[in-house]
Amino acid sequence: MRLGTVIFGSLMHGVQVKLDPGRSVEEIAVGRYVAIKGEKKRFFGMITDVSLEAVDPRAMVMPPDISDPFIAKVVSGTTTYGKISVLPMLTISGDAATMLEGPQPAKTVPAHFSEVQLASQRDVELVFGPEDRQRFYIGTPLDMETKVCINMEELVKRSNGVFGKSGTGKTFLTRLLLVGMLQKSGAVSLIFDMHNEYGWEGKSEKGHRVKGLKQLFPGKVAVFCLDEAYARRRNVNVDHMVKIGYDEIEPEDIALLRQTFNFTDASIQAIYGLARRFGDKKWFESTLTLGEEESKKVQKEMEIHDSTWRNLRRSLMNLQRFPFLMSHAPDDAVKNMLGYLERGINVVLEFGSYDDISAYILVANLLSRRIYTQYREKVDISDAKGNKEPVPMVITIEEAHKFLNPEVATQTIFGKIAREMRKYNVTMLVIDQRPSGIDEEVMSQLGTKITCLLDNERDVDAVLTGVAGKSELKSVLSRLESKQQALIFGHALPMPVVVKVREYGTPESYKELGPLAGDGKAKTDKLDDLWG
Amino acid sequence: MDLGLKVAEVVETSSSEFLAQCYELDGAPALGSMVRTKGKDCEIYGIVCASATHSVEPGRRIMARGQGAQSETDVFKANPQLAKLLCSDFRALVVGHGRGRSMYQYLPPSPASIYAFVYTCKSEEVRDFTKSLNFLSLLIDTRLPVATDEVIAAFLRLASQTQQEPQDFLVKAGKDLAWLLSNDIRRLDSILKRLRNDREE
Amino acid sequence: MTLDIVQLYGQIEAMAGDLKSRQADYILRLSSALDTLKSAALNQDRLKQKIEKAKATWLVAGLKENIDIHKAASALPDDFVAVASDGSHVDVDRHQSARLFLLNIGLVQLQYGSKADALLLSIPSLYFGDEQLSLRSQDGRQVLLEGPLLGIKRSVEECRYLADRVCEIPGGLPVVALVDGSLIMWGLVGQRYEDFVVEQLLIEGFLKQLDRFAGQNEKNKTAVASYISFPRSTDVVNSLRLHVCPYDPVDCDKYCKGKFEGRECDRVGGLLDRALFSEFLSHGERSAVFFSSSTIIEKYGAHQVCFFYVKLDEEVARVEVPLWVADDQSLLDLVHAVVLDQSRKGFGYPVALSEAHEQAVVSGADRERFWSMVERALNEDNIRIQHSLKQRSKRVRWI
Repeated sequence: MRLGTVIFGSLMHGVQVKLDPGRSVEEIAVGRYVAIKGEKKRFFGMITDVSLEAVDPRAMVMPPDISDPFIAKVVSGTTTYGKISVLPMLTISGDAATMLEGPQPAKTVPAHFSEVQLASQRDVELVFGPEDRQRFYIGTPLDMETKVCINMEELVKRSNGVFGKSGTGKTFLTRLLLVGMLQKSGAVSLIFDMHNEYGWEGKSEKGHRVKGLKQLFPGKVAVFCLDEAYARRRNVNVDHMVKIGYDEIEPEDIALLRQTFNFTDASIQAIYGLARRFGDKKWFESTLTLGEEESKKVQKEMEIHDSTWRNLRRSLMNLQRFPFLMSHAPDDAVKNMLGYLERGINVVLEFGSYDDISAYILVANLLSRRIYTQYREKVDISDAKGNKEPVPMVITIEEAHKFLNPEVATQTIFGKIAREMRKYNVTMLVIDQRPSGIDEEVMSQLGTKITCLLDNERDVDAVLTGVAGKSELKSVLSRLESKQQALIFGHALPMPVVVKVREYGTPESYKELGPLAGDGKAKTDKLDDLWG
Repeated sequence: MDLGLKVAEVVETSSSEFLAQCYELDGAPALGSMVRTKGKDCEIYGIVCASATHSVEPGRRIMARGQGAQSETDVFKANPQLAKLLCSDFRALVVGHGRGRSMYQYLPPSPASIYAFVYTCKSEEVRDFTKSLNFLSLLIDTRLPVATDEVIAAFLRLASQTQQEPQDFLVKAGKDLAWLLSNDIRRLDSILKRLRNDREE
Repeated sequence: MTLDIVQLYGQIEAMAGDLKSRQADYILRLSSALDTLKSAALNQDRLKQKIEKAKATWLVAGLKENIDIHKAASALPDDFVAVASDGSHVDVDRHQSARLFLLNIGLVQLQYGSKADALLLSIPSLYFGDEQLSLRSQDGRQVLLEGPLLGIKRSVEECRYLADRVCEIPGGLPVVALVDGSLIMWGLVGQRYEDFVVEQLLIEGFLKQLDRFAGQNEKNKTAVASYISFPRSTDVVNSLRLHVCPYDPVDCDKYCKGKFEGRECDRVGGLLDRALFSEFLSHGERSAVFFSSSTIIEKYGAHQVCFFYVKLDEEVARVEVPLWVADDQSLLDLVHAVVLDQSRKGFGYPVALSEAHEQAVVSGADRERFWSMVERALNEDNIRIQHSLKQRSKRVRWI
């Protein structure tokens, strides 16, 4: 369907398209895809702005009398016309490279007066590829029925981010991505589920119950939980309870909590000092159990200030109250988790009622650090011996800015993982509503970003840092609907796309997402259980 | 609309226009209507852009005579010499020419022939000619004795009545005008307002 | 070269003053003339006889009707025709190259009524060669047609074309044919010209045409008349002079030789007929019909020239008709009514005559064009053309 013709523009800032008379500006939405028929190439781009123009500026000051329908008809598209800005992103067909390798990034602009049309379904399929063994259907482009698919294998080759202010559907989006990764990425997920959304079941905004990963893929997901009481109460099918011993807690784990506990530099120094004194495995317990006198002695010895000491002890005691922390854990949670992960079974750690940020940071960081260390070893060994490498793993963390803000990014394992990219077969999926809180360097390491509506300009800027066509995409991002719409761009996609996110939570959606879906091959067993 | 009547003869001619003297007093075709005459090897199409009635001899003025009369017809009856001393004529702007079945919307190589007969165009001729409106720029850019905008609007009003879809024709013509007059909104507006037919809703 | 207005000023003032005083005297004489007219009417027969016996130095009007008659116009017929002709000529010009003259006759026919129509014609004729350029007697005497004679010749031709036209008019329509000026060929009065000239121009020329109009009356009621605007004639005033003249029979030579003022009759003198009738007549009325006593009239026979005055909106005009028209009441009334109507339609002058004049006029440009055509034609035949130097100087505008 023809929209208009190209009249002006540049590669950097996009091309200006004059709308044909008869095409109302009101029909056009920012974020939609258009195809431009250039002289030799066909371009694919996104509408990033819409404006009103007049041939003679006087028409704006003394508008023609459009209460007369005749004059209105004459004037529309001639004296006054609509204009859209289009960011050309890909060239498709017409080109030897495109024919061999598919759409190429646009390196030029279409010729003057090229015809611009709304993109067809075929165009979208050509760009994004059809749904197949690697490509997971995530949603539809604006005002279209075509399926936009993300190549999951590509996606997990890098760390990625899911952003959006609260209530915009990040959780649903994350669920879909997790399902997609589970089915098609060839990677295994370790998910730190702070609010118990992903494992067994979750809740929609309206309070409806929504199936979690385990319900959809019982054989592929193991649910771990920190909170026994919670699991029982909610009738969650838990594979393992997680307990963590004091002897597993290292100074780095506590140092990471500096912002939560307001540790000063002195406190951090003290922590490291104590570890040196008591040993990595004993320092935590020791610090907690020290009597008054001994405390004083240690204080004096280590030149720890009184208030510092007190603050420190208080913080540790705060942690102590968590039932999942004990002197010594009965079994090795890490080993258990690794056991599943190595077999390609996804692990979700639900925090139950311990959705306290300090618990989350501590546990996520601690477990990840240890798992990561194991992974490194395995990768190094396999490199040396030529064995099979461990299965690629994606760690999903929420409230990412707590882990990855500039102050602590260098200290957490997650910062390290982000920097090392996929050196040791581990990447991350970070979920956050304050991307401006995340360290810039980390942000730049994220391969693909999936963003729902953000209304804070700093957050918007943070997400779009270093992206081509940033200012144009900014207007698209700020116009997203508050629910079920996301802008996705980055490594795993040939070009940015605004999608209406597919449904999750209805029986049809479960049917489509379940083990039957995606690659068209029928799978048997226990299907009936799934349909809610 | 008239069905192609012979109404006048060319008495002055130039590349871009011609003056035709009518056979009958007040016999000039309507302002803006299309007329056809002959050129050297072609038919020439023109648009009536001004008409007048005056004494045949330039020096003589017409005097009012009808104080006691009931109507103009009575004045002519009581003064039979008047009909012979007055004439009506009109100026037509050349907008195109035709050879055989083809019509061209640019000036013919030679002007209309002196003493050539001038006919009003039939509805079908107008409809065929106005399939394209390329010649509108001729009308817009010329200095005419009558305000050009009036002639353009009159022409479009009349031409629209020969079309199957008069309103569509007017909208299309309006859009062509909008391009030609893109730097003169005031003029475009004044012409568009004159395109109102009485039949418009 | 310049006009000294300052010098002139005083003279103009003097003239104005003089005119004013004359004005008062004039009014007295006019009033006196009116009274005389009324008293003359009382004794009509006596005046008639006195006029017949008189030997006066001026032209005196003969009385055909009671002198004090004033008649309103009768109604116009529903359908009638007014025809008029006028002419102009381009004279043999000594300064030009060839010997010829051009007559251009304008002819206008206006039909009124149910089939109102108009015919406007302009008919040029070129006269060249000795036979056409002069009048010859049978015994070989020759007179060139130029100057006043050319004017007379033109009048004859105007009349001829008028008669031609009148003969074309279908039956059943009353016709009034009009010419401009006088029916009386003043130019031929006296012994200026030899008999054959008068014979050819008047007898065989003009009067023969008048015969044709008379003859038409078998088919249509047809009258012919001439129209004089702002007439300077004093025929009727002169007959009033006779009335007050103390002598009977009147003999100016005998009693008042050498006198031009102070005579008894001067109390009604110094007036034009039109001034008298302007006072006497009401709008649209005609005066009585009078005879003209010009000597040339003797030759007119049945076409003896009679005249009357008619008061129009803006002036008093003199209308002349042949006797056969004056004798026919219906024709006379027709002429009166038509002249009145024509004058109204022509804003003070009969429209048929003014249009005929327009058709006849040869403009300066036309004249030049005519002479160039002639020259070109003659040049092509290698006929030697002589230009006078004066003419050349007129043609090229030089400083």
